[in-house]
Amino acid sequence: MNGTSPALMLRNVKKSYPRAEALKGIELALPKGEIWGLLGPNGSGKSTLLKCIVGLVKPDAGEIEIDGNPRSRCTKGQIAFVPEMDTLYRWMTVGQTLAFTSAFYQDWDQRRVAGLLEFMGLDAGQKIRSLSKGMRARLKLVLALARKAPLLLLDEPFSGIDPASRERIVEGIVREFKSDEQTMVISTHAVGDTEQLFDAVVFLDEGTISLQGYAEDLRREYGKSINDLFKEVFA
Amino acid sequence: MASFFPLVRKDLEASRWPVGILSALIVGYMLLIRFRFPPIGLSETESLAVALSLPLIFLPLWMIWQSFQALRTEWREDTVYTLLTLPIPGWQVISSKLVGLWVEYSLLLGVSLVGALVIYGDAVQSGLRVLPSLAWAVRNGFLLYLFSLAVLSAMVVFVQLAYVIGKMVGRLQGLVAIWTLFLSGWLVDRLGLLLEPLFRWMPPLPLHKLFRLDELKQGIVAEWNVAPALGTWLGILALFILTGYLFEHYVEVND
Repeated sequence: MNGTSPALMLRNVKKSYPRAEALKGIELALPKGEIWGLLGPNGSGKSTLLKCIVGLVKPDAGEIEIDGNPRSRCTKGQIAFVPEMDTLYRWMTVGQTLAFTSAFYQDWDQRRVAGLLEFMGLDAGQKIRSLSKGMRARLKLVLALARKAPLLLLDEPFSGIDPASRERIVEGIVREFKSDEQTMVISTHAVGDTEQLFDAVVFLDEGTISLQGYAEDLRREYGKSINDLFKEVFA
Repeated sequence: MASFFPLVRKDLEASRWPVGILSALIVGYMLLIRFRFPPIGLSETESLAVALSLPLIFLPLWMIWQSFQALRTEWREDTVYTLLTLPIPGWQVISSKLVGLWVEYSLLLGVSLVGALVIYGDAVQSGLRVLPSLAWAVRNGFLLYLFSLAVLSAMVVFVQLAYVIGKMVGRLQGLVAIWTLFLSGWLVDRLGLLLEPLFRWMPPLPLHKLFRLDELKQGIVAEWNVAPALGTWLGILALFILTGYLFEHYVEVND
């Protein structure tokens, strides 16, 4: 790990699809040990940006560096990615899913698993197929949080989780987050529930960064919460 | 390599049900042919041939379908996200599916042969009496099994490459995959002919010795000129490596 380089560096990252320009030259540097909110409405490019970072989508132009290293097979091992999609093998049990995932990552911390399962209300013997969408979302979070990955990318992690549980899970994420060794990016358009999580935020609008800064500075500067600011920017 | 075995295990566990159902169908079909609908006027040995021929013809076709299906399921169920984010080389994903197919093929072949042995015990024994010895039959059967495995692997490589390239284009994925399938087959065939002079120094493979055909009948000579085949197999190996590379570096997922 490079001590001086940012956890994540994006330089002029562009991505176009046949019918849309998803990312229009994103420039971003995320320091280590912080939780960043990637905020924007549907179709603003949040998921595409996270997919570019993790390697699921190839940018048309630009550079992506993780801890000072260009994106590669090795950097995949440094990222814990929670996609918005249901990417779990439905025929597996929760336990099999954990065992399967743990086989690929050296930073897997087995000691965390039991506590995380209990916290999320999951049982190792449950079949994925029998879990509700919200429970599957919880399991995806367990898979990411059970690792000591330097970079955590969570794409709409609370999608499908009932509002009553979200607050508790947000607290859990804060508790599990190791600020001395991890950096987290959470993409969401439901800012209200998650505002307390963010050290800093990036507002993404139609593939460009419309606003970015530390949450406290923005609140002070604009005299309103991040949630209200979000509503104003994307009204 | 420690990450390779969980992948193979995952693919094997995913195919438990299809293999189980197909095994039951094979045995059921044999039982039907043997006891319920005995082909009219056929001896028991001929009935055995009928009972075995369908699974033996069907199995390679099923394996080719499975090689397509194994990749298709990953995309259809969005689990390809998981595979593409793993810090492993693409060839491990591709070859784990190949190994999984080997195991499936071997299991189903085993079910067909053991089923035939149990259901047609007498006919199998009388059939074996025509052959020089049981050891000869087992040895040659094993060699034929290895040969069929190699041919099937080549087919799987073509299908995997076609599927992966199909997934790299935004539109007309099916058409691109079919064209890739034909083009890659044509390419390795041409490569075999092109590289043939390089391997001319290799002596022909004496199949009559390999299969001990002189034990069956004296004076049989069967040789295989391996020079063109070697180029073809090198081409297939290159396609396999290419598929793994493309899977790791060029495949994208879009919602």
